[in-house]
Formats: sequence, C-alpha cells, structure tokens
Amino acid sequence: MNKSELIKNLAEARDLHVDEASDIVNAFVESIKQALVNDDRVEIRGFGSFKIKSYKGYTGRNPKSGDVVTVAPKKLPFFRPGKELKEFINQ
Amino acid sequence: MSGKTLTKADIVDYIYEKTERNRAEVKVLVDHLLDIMKQSIKKDDALLVSGFGKFESYDKKARKGRNPQTNKSIVLPPRKVVVFRLSRKFRAELNPE
Repeated sequence: MNKSELIKNLAEARDLHVDEASDIVNAFVESIKQALVNDDRVEIRGFGSFKIKSYKGYTGRNPKSGDVVTVAPKKLPFFRPGKELKEFINQ
Repeated sequence: MSGKTLTKADIVDYIYEKTERNRAEVKVLVDHLLDIMKQSIKKDDALLVSGFGKFESYDKKARKGRNPQTNKSIVLPPRKVVVFRLSRKFRAELNPE
C-alpha cells in the first residue's frame, strides 16, 4: 500500500471526503517528520517509536579503488515496532 | 537532543489545528489510520509513505538462542519483524547541506 491508497482506505472506512482524508494523513506524517527534524523522539503506543541517531563524520576508503572518501556526519531515524504491532504481524 | 517526545495526543492536537473537526473525532481518525497502517504492513508486507519512508515486514528464520540467566539453550521461533527505511527526501530534510 502507498500513501494514496492509505488516504483512500481511510476515506472509505470513515466516510470522509478524499481531500479531508488526505489532509489528515499528510498532517499525521508532517507532525512526525517535524518532531524528528527537531531531534525529538516520537512514541505512538501500540504502533512503535522513532528516534534519531546521530553519526559522526569520518574519513573512509573506497575498498575497491583505495580512494579516500570523507563521510559527512548524518542523522538517521530508527523505528522500533511496538509490542502490539509485533504481535499483530505475527498472528 | 531536546529530550522531548511526541506522543499520539500531540499528533492529534497537530491535526486538530488543521481541520474543522473536534479533538475526539480526530483521535478516532488517527486510531483508524494506525489500524489501516498496521493491516497494510501485515497484508502487503510493506507500506510506502512517500516523502517519509517505507515500513517493511520480513521473515526471520528460527535460530538457537540462550537464556543468559539460566544458560539454557532454546530455539527462537521464526517470526516477522518490521523495519523502517527512510525516503531519500526525508533523509535530505534531516541532513540539510
């Protein structure tokens, strides 16, 4: 399923106009993204939690050519599925 | 790290401010949305949210493990796990030049 199918599903399940369902799904995603961009944690009970891990930059080497490459510091989000989601997936 | 945590109630508030609906209605909708997301991850083994990332479920084989407390070896059953892979767009937003 992709985002537009998610929107369509929500609209049908709750008898909403697709535009409204679209606003809701987009705001949902936006709120999570904003929190993560601010380095905040996100915790959605029953679904899972997100947190940002920060990695320092380093100089590495291309193992094939031996060239020195600089890897810039980066931030990546990590998702931990919640208990309910884990159990649901394995049912 | 600011140490703050965004919870479901905060997400409901955020959506509430952008819609014509009351909080209780928004909460029901968010719960429903999460339900659809879970079902999609289970049914399709994947849920793609463009501009954000992809939730994928994949199979882990059974493996031998050990209870570190009793030192008994046990077989961990095969199971499915869910991972999140972020989209290129979101990765760029997290790491501005």
